[in-house]
Amino acid sequence: MTDASVRISHVAAGHSRVSRAEPWQVRLGTALSKPGFLAALPVGILLLAGFVGPLALVFLFAFMPPQTFSVLQAPTLANFRTIFSDSYYLSFLASLQLAASTVAILLVICYPLAIAMVRVFTRKAGILALVLAAPLFVADNLRLMGWMLFLVKGGVVSGTMQTYLGIPVDSMLYTFSATLFGLVYINLPMMLFPMILGVSMVPAQMREAAFDLGASRWQVMKEVDIPLAMPGIMIGALITFILAAGAITEAKVLGGTAVVMIAQDIQKEFTFAQNWPKGSALSMLMIVLAGSLALAMFKRVDLDAIFGRKG
Amino acid sequence: MTRRNLLQSFSQSRRAFLRDTVSISAGIAAASMMPRGAWAAREKEMNIYCWEGYNSDKVLDPFRKEFDCTVKAQGLISDPEAVNQLRAGDTKVWDIINLNNAWGRRQLYPENLIKPLDKAKFEPLWEMMIPEFKWPYKWSTSDDGNELLGMIQRYGPSGMLVNTEKVSAATLEDEGYDLMLSDAFKGKYAVLMYDDWVIMHVVIAAGFSPFRELTDDEIGKYETVMRKLINNAAFLSDDMNAIALGMINGSIEGSFPGSVYSVSAARYDGNPNLRCIIPNKGPEEMGGKAGVCWMELTSLVNNPQLSPRAEDFLEYCFRPETAKNVSFAEGTYNPVGQMGDPKVMALYNTEELDAFQYDTLSADMAKCADFDIIPSYTKLHEIFSAAVREKA
Amino acid sequence: MTAATGDTASASSAPPPILQLRGVDKLFGEFPAVDRISLDIREGEFFTIVGPSGSGKTTMVRMLVGMDKPTNGDILLRGERINDVPANKRPTCMVFQSLALFPHRSVGQNIEFPLKIRGVKAASRKERALELMAQLRLPESYYGKGVSQCSGGERQRVALARALAFDPEILFFDEPLSALDYKLRKILEKELKDIHRETGKTFVYITHSLEEAMVMSDRIGVMNKGRFVQIGTPNEIYGNPSTRFVSEFMGEVNILEVGPGPDGTVIDQATGASYHAPPIADSFAGGSLVIRPEDIRFLDDTASPAANKLEGVVYNEYLLGSRVQYQVRVGDAQVFLVEKLREQQLASARGGRVTIAWDAKDSTIFPTARFAS
Repeated sequence: MTDASVRISHVAAGHSRVSRAEPWQVRLGTALSKPGFLAALPVGILLLAGFVGPLALVFLFAFMPPQTFSVLQAPTLANFRTIFSDSYYLSFLASLQLAASTVAILLVICYPLAIAMVRVFTRKAGILALVLAAPLFVADNLRLMGWMLFLVKGGVVSGTMQTYLGIPVDSMLYTFSATLFGLVYINLPMMLFPMILGVSMVPAQMREAAFDLGASRWQVMKEVDIPLAMPGIMIGALITFILAAGAITEAKVLGGTAVVMIAQDIQKEFTFAQNWPKGSALSMLMIVLAGSLALAMFKRVDLDAIFGRKG
Repeated sequence: MTRRNLLQSFSQSRRAFLRDTVSISAGIAAASMMPRGAWAAREKEMNIYCWEGYNSDKVLDPFRKEFDCTVKAQGLISDPEAVNQLRAGDTKVWDIINLNNAWGRRQLYPENLIKPLDKAKFEPLWEMMIPEFKWPYKWSTSDDGNELLGMIQRYGPSGMLVNTEKVSAATLEDEGYDLMLSDAFKGKYAVLMYDDWVIMHVVIAAGFSPFRELTDDEIGKYETVMRKLINNAAFLSDDMNAIALGMINGSIEGSFPGSVYSVSAARYDGNPNLRCIIPNKGPEEMGGKAGVCWMELTSLVNNPQLSPRAEDFLEYCFRPETAKNVSFAEGTYNPVGQMGDPKVMALYNTEELDAFQYDTLSADMAKCADFDIIPSYTKLHEIFSAAVREKA
Repeated sequence: MTAATGDTASASSAPPPILQLRGVDKLFGEFPAVDRISLDIREGEFFTIVGPSGSGKTTMVRMLVGMDKPTNGDILLRGERINDVPANKRPTCMVFQSLALFPHRSVGQNIEFPLKIRGVKAASRKERALELMAQLRLPESYYGKGVSQCSGGERQRVALARALAFDPEILFFDEPLSALDYKLRKILEKELKDIHRETGKTFVYITHSLEEAMVMSDRIGVMNKGRFVQIGTPNEIYGNPSTRFVSEFMGEVNILEVGPGPDGTVIDQATGASYHAPPIADSFAGGSLVIRPEDIRFLDDTASPAANKLEGVVYNEYLLGSRVQYQVRVGDAQVFLVEKLREQQLASARGGRVTIAWDAKDSTIFPTARFAS
């Protein structure tokens, strides 16, 4: 086995030395005969088919004439023109605003929670994690329906207030805040678990050393805890941001469409509007927007520096 | 249109999941044992894609037992989405498709996505239908009337929903859509977000027929009405149960639009004060009709390996017990066209009939135009989407 | 133990104590990790606490720097009780075993950390950092370097510089050299000693290596099972170990189990041989006779007089750089360890017959009863 692969790589090396003179077929054949390439092939194909394929299709559709169902037409920018001349910026802004607020709120909620789980409930953290992860076994929309029944007028909250305290409470649903609440609730585990990972990466001695060198609790957190937990925090923030920006159910079920998020516009274009190209164009814009925001975020926080991989 | 009862659909979906898991694994096991492509391989399986109700065990279990057949059923929540999936190649998956009337004749058949039925076999079944759907019924045939595209079962009128304790049925019938669109009603209603239905009813409220091309001037008027409707609404939701709940707990008094099925479950549950109302006066060009009625067409998918059980299923749906079960499926109660047959009618009691407002059903249907394709839909939908996005 | 309190009590001429422990306990549940310790550490001295793992030395230093609180007793800094003063409010600081350098900060930022915490301006911070780097022989170009790019020895220096930047009254070290290779450790031990002299600060050093302690310390406290078994200068500890534990801990020694014999001699319980030993109490009922390998000599002339003489065969020879070690088999069961300087190496060692000898004054008796506590 080892022998064979060694021989193969020798052959490959021999070819590559004279590759400039070789026809491309031979070079391709050489590349194909490498064991690494063959081993990576199945995963590569899966990625291509399952991930890149649909994206490529959406990309192509974004440049097709409106209201058509084939990608084999002359490309056009008509969809983008329509989008920019219309009020879609409102949905983009709403989505980004909600996503940013969700991330901000979750950072504040999850950081102390992660600290508590890593440092206080060390023994019971497993149980706590299970309790927090358990809702993930139930579909998002069902959980949101549950909250709807909880918050709706005459529901659990307002019913209790009315019956036992005599305070009339109107519906707490169908507002921007209700949407935000839903996003925070649904995405909490997505922020919490990477953050727990990040927090548990901070060595106890590092904090003790800072404390010993005169830092207050607050300074230890600012100078050591947060910077060292940053990889987990960033990953949590990124996942939450992307999920919240692409959310739809929260705005529909709890928000009563008080705010239209971009995902809802996209869904409408693909279904009720029967306009795949426009839906695809909106999707592409969202991918570009969310992607560049994420990139910018990662650029600001240098992960390499955090991991101590460079100077 | 979405029809689901949230509490029931939970247990429903769990059961469906288990069933699907079993049938899928059985399918894989079977597929690995016999060569593919054999037409005989599909004698014992059938896949249906349908509005909620047809996928309930109450409807499917007897069929499974009698025909010794695996049935995989998936509920759909949007006609256009289902059409998209068939367009995208899902015709290889499904045997039966159940959509609102106009889609079959206007899109599915012209695009070769469904298969005409054997007229000799299915025409006699139309004997059972109520007078409104007498043979040869328009929406069950191709444009030229030559082909039978599917069978009609559930139907219903669409107008507005109201809590009759707050606004009397008679007042709303007389004053029509204007009442809900008046400033006095601001914040007292929800919009049921089935886009095509909102658009149709707003066009009618603006005074035109949605089923012809509209002029720019008319579209301008439509936009004014649409923006007012959206801006004045308490909330917008595509969940009819959330809207029914709002009417029961008093946070809203009505809904625009709304069909009988959106309140039938709540009515059966002891809220007879919730009601679907069709205004008395509509645009002249629609013959004064102010509502729109829908009926579902159940068709054979143009599947290259269509299950022979699919035809059996269409016949099975016309049996009196099955028709009743479809009519009173989980979470949504609807009248069915087969109620023209006394054997079917005999299966209902008074409460059940009252759930779908049987007392005024024929009168309401008479005030409705048939659901059809909306020629100016693209433009109208853009205006609608913009109004929702820019909701004040 | 008695030795400990006796030693500190007698040190009246020494500089005044900067840090005092008065009956300090640390209990983990029922288990005393530190057991009723009283100790004075003098201003400006290099004091090393040495003991095997689990002896309680780390627990003790954590209390001294303020990361743990004693269960009982008091810790006094210049006479003031500091039990409840947290680590960040104490004028002391520690170099950790792991060094605990901040990986997300450069060398300069690490060194400047305590100054930044204190709100010192950036320019004077940098000036001080470069000063310390020069003192510790770290090139100036390292200022902006990541700590992960530094070698083990450089990291030690950064950690030390950071601690010195804090300008503590007492500097604690928790086995900072234990992860380094022998040669580098030896170099850094001496550097540390130099820095101690240059800065004049009080150093408290924790280690499990008595050898390391010997090189650097003014005084050494040997810990076992939560208590000090001996406190003294390196010479006192080396020359006059108070217990068998201390002598064993110091390195390889020859230990013979002995019982009382006639005329103040002792009887080897394994072989029945009789040895001359230092004076023993009348009550002596048995114990250990300890002889250092370097205190045993080879007799060229087997007839020469010696207090204790044994014949044996050289079983093994080990070259230890400047020294040579021999394993000498005596009889069937006993193996003696003998250590000589290189110049004294035997001509034909392995398998050769030799006579080994030692003087009574070079052996130490530890009666068994002393360990039964």
